[in-house]
Amino acid sequence: MENWEKLYKMPYKEIKDLQDRKLRAFMANQIYLYSPYYSNLLKELKIDPLKVKGIEDLRHLPFTYKWDIAPTDEEPQKAKDFVIRPDEEITEKYSHLAKMSMTGGKAQVEERVYDFKPVHMHFTTGRTAMPTPFLYSKRDLENLKEAGYRLLEVFEVTTDDIVVNCFPFAPHLAFWQTFFAGEKMNVAGFHSGGGKIVGTNNLMDAFEYLQPTVAVFIPGYCYYFLREAVKQGRDFSSVKKIFFGGERVPPGLKDKIKELFVQLGAEDVMVLATYGMTEAKVAWPECPSHDEYYGYHLFPDMEVFETVDPESGEPVGEAEEGEIVYTSLDWRGTAVLRYRTGDIAVGGLMYEPCPNCGRTVPRISSNIQRKSELKEFSMTKVKGTLVNLNNFFPLMMSHPDIEEWQVEMRKRNDDPFDMDEIYLYVATKGDVDREKLVADLKQKVLRDTEVSLTDIIFKPVPELVKQLGMETELKEKRILDNRPK
Amino acid sequence: MEAWSKVSKMPAAAIRKMQSELLQKMLNEQLAERHPYYRTLFKENNINPADIKSIEDLKELPLTGKKDILPPEGEPRHPKKFVLEPPAEGEKKSKKKGLALFGKKDTGPEPEQYKFHTLYFTAGRTAKPIPIEYTHLDLANLREAGARAIDVWGLTRDDTMVNAFTYAPNAYFWQMYYSTIDLGSTALQTGGGKVLGLEKVLKAAHTMEAPVMAVAPGYAIYALQTLENFGFTAENLERIITGIDYTPMEAVDKIRRLMQAVQAKDNRVQRFYSISEAKSGWAECEPGYGYHTFPDHVLVEIVDPESGEVLGEGEKGEVVITHLEAAGTVLLRYRTDDIATGGLVTEPCPNCKRTVPRIMGDIERKAQYYELRGKEGVHLFNGNHLRKLMFARDDVLLWYAEINRTNSDDNLKVVVKGASGTDEAALLQSLNEELGSKFQVQSSVESISLDAVVNKIGLEKFITEKTIFDNRQS
Repeated sequence: MENWEKLYKMPYKEIKDLQDRKLRAFMANQIYLYSPYYSNLLKELKIDPLKVKGIEDLRHLPFTYKWDIAPTDEEPQKAKDFVIRPDEEITEKYSHLAKMSMTGGKAQVEERVYDFKPVHMHFTTGRTAMPTPFLYSKRDLENLKEAGYRLLEVFEVTTDDIVVNCFPFAPHLAFWQTFFAGEKMNVAGFHSGGGKIVGTNNLMDAFEYLQPTVAVFIPGYCYYFLREAVKQGRDFSSVKKIFFGGERVPPGLKDKIKELFVQLGAEDVMVLATYGMTEAKVAWPECPSHDEYYGYHLFPDMEVFETVDPESGEPVGEAEEGEIVYTSLDWRGTAVLRYRTGDIAVGGLMYEPCPNCGRTVPRISSNIQRKSELKEFSMTKVKGTLVNLNNFFPLMMSHPDIEEWQVEMRKRNDDPFDMDEIYLYVATKGDVDREKLVADLKQKVLRDTEVSLTDIIFKPVPELVKQLGMETELKEKRILDNRPK
Repeated sequence: MEAWSKVSKMPAAAIRKMQSELLQKMLNEQLAERHPYYRTLFKENNINPADIKSIEDLKELPLTGKKDILPPEGEPRHPKKFVLEPPAEGEKKSKKKGLALFGKKDTGPEPEQYKFHTLYFTAGRTAKPIPIEYTHLDLANLREAGARAIDVWGLTRDDTMVNAFTYAPNAYFWQMYYSTIDLGSTALQTGGGKVLGLEKVLKAAHTMEAPVMAVAPGYAIYALQTLENFGFTAENLERIITGIDYTPMEAVDKIRRLMQAVQAKDNRVQRFYSISEAKSGWAECEPGYGYHTFPDHVLVEIVDPESGEVLGEGEKGEVVITHLEAAGTVLLRYRTDDIATGGLVTEPCPNCKRTVPRIMGDIERKAQYYELRGKEGVHLFNGNHLRKLMFARDDVLLWYAEINRTNSDDNLKVVVKGASGTDEAALLQSLNEELGSKFQVQSSVESISLDAVVNKIGLEKFITEKTIFDNRQS
């Protein structure tokens, strides 16, 4: 792991040299020797790991897909094969560490092996697939802490700030990276566990008690939380920055959030975004700006990003739209090569220094068509058309008349062979002309998702909030697929 | 805090002397100078903290209760009055200079030690949760406490652990977290059933082949009894560490029996008692030997819950804590509302020989003492005893009780779901008889479906299940 302040000033050529070097060493000394899955795969495909000289050679390696790692009923321990672990069998086979024992003694071998020992883990949040564990060794936790530190550094958070972490508690990346970031930078924080854990009212009390300068949220819950706070006439005037994780932040929502903060006494709150994934074991910060999008700053000493054509798998050029493919660099615990994230970076990868802050590390475009919580059915066939349900998010989140919303897919008469139906539940912001709103929504939904709604159903806000599981679920249920399987 | 290897072997007299010194420092250098609440309290009551020469004199000072800390309506920052103020600019410098003249060791305050670092809350079972501020010093002490508890339990880094303590921003969860991470054992911080749900917690324990699980007693019992339904075994399970909720010996025995029944590798149960306000939790080496406290961190007194008088060695009474080394939120003679049935003993532990004071017996919750009106006057009903009775029975899976008032008489209704394979009619009859013989209150029993009881007690909704509902208050 490099010094961040040094790394983000390095010319890209040096960064690339560093990545080449690191990748060579990682492939030969870790992946090939200690990763059961890749070790077998490389042998099967007769790929010599020493032939991987640099990041350009990655394209000669096969992709790894979600289903390669995810546990199944037949193979519940699948994910273990992605863990870098010099266990006894492998140690003996390669006698690498055994040899060392002749000089360093057994204790030293034990310590070396211990370096790989997983001490912490996160799970993916899949709703249909079984959750996949991603393991961290002690060394990896230092990487995670460093990533947290870098995120705070980009967001210009200092030790004078007080952070309230409102991510739902779970063995998930979002909560824990925020926690570790505070530990590393030595920033004071309250790790609430979110509304489900402490209750929305207690969380508001905590805001008024602590007077934090930074708040960290999942966008959907944040919008709900702030509205409740406005209703109760709370004072959140201490807040200067808010950053989001867990899902994409549509521009319209940024404005709504800022507007609510004004009502709570906080002017000009900076809304910041992050992009992360369990598989990469870290999340990255978007370059802060009030109205422009400069992309997410990546950590080139911890990973290699590629962008590929989602159909052919061929790498695309700089700043060209493509699917994000992730490769771990110098991690222990779980490590993946050329992992197909399923996320599309519309503006691609950028290697020019950031026009906003001047940092030289690679950037991935802000516009990522995240499949986020909808990974399993974001591209779903409804009425025979492939529908990108992601498009509901920017549309609904930014709509000035909408307070809350939910999409439900059903089958007519609950018959699996009958027609697909798609319902939109909405709770409006105050009194609106419903007829006009229905016409507007029908037209916009058709434009953005290419699907005609079966019906739009109006609900009072509290009822819809409950239906969304705002206070009971880890993440609210925006899109329900209730079609019988 | 001192080195544990030293403190855990100190003779009782040396511990008292150390505590008296720490107490004097805390009173004179911290509370009287930089604690807004106690500074005012001392002034208003003409208390000179310098008069308190030893821990025996502590009884001269007033007790603090939850109500003193709880914020009144419209004053959300009232609990800040219990937080030590950081040293003023220049304060440290002048002290250092003065002491240096006499060649004394610098004991001046380090500003960093007072800087707010994190916030935990009390459980808030009976009142609103109280915020407890931790500084770097407190966090270092919490980590030290975690390492000590691990030492008392005898865990090593080879003990893979599933931490199923319900997540809440409190000392229980975080002490456990820090102790596993500092120990370097493979651990999963599940956040408990409330976060992951029972099946995922069990699945994780199963796939990780974890020998150790930290879990609330009621949840442990429920998990062990329903394990089979999910198709899991407990073949790697060796021990359960119980916490969050109090674990009477009846619960320990029941968990042991259940571990045996599901053919766990071993059936060790160890208890953990933590009070968020104390900023550290105490471990018991083996059930019945008492919670080993950390005398260089917190001073424990046992007082009569009615009169507030300090009680003698081994006498049942309320646990009262005083911070000896803390910053952030600092409490003096704070009433925990917890009753230790075996009081406090200062003899070395007959099991592990550690010499630190131990809190003995079971912990009872004062809030679960009820006065019930009957035909023959008012009876005290101890809900903690009902809990023990229910833990002792193997035929009960889950239960709750309601206290209702009809006309002017109070009665107790116990609602149960029998363990799998239980003859419900026989269960109801024998339970009815047992209640009649043990409690002098009018009681009735009923059975109910599993889902209804799970929902009612909030098994996966609250931090720990709520089993006694006093319907008279509403």
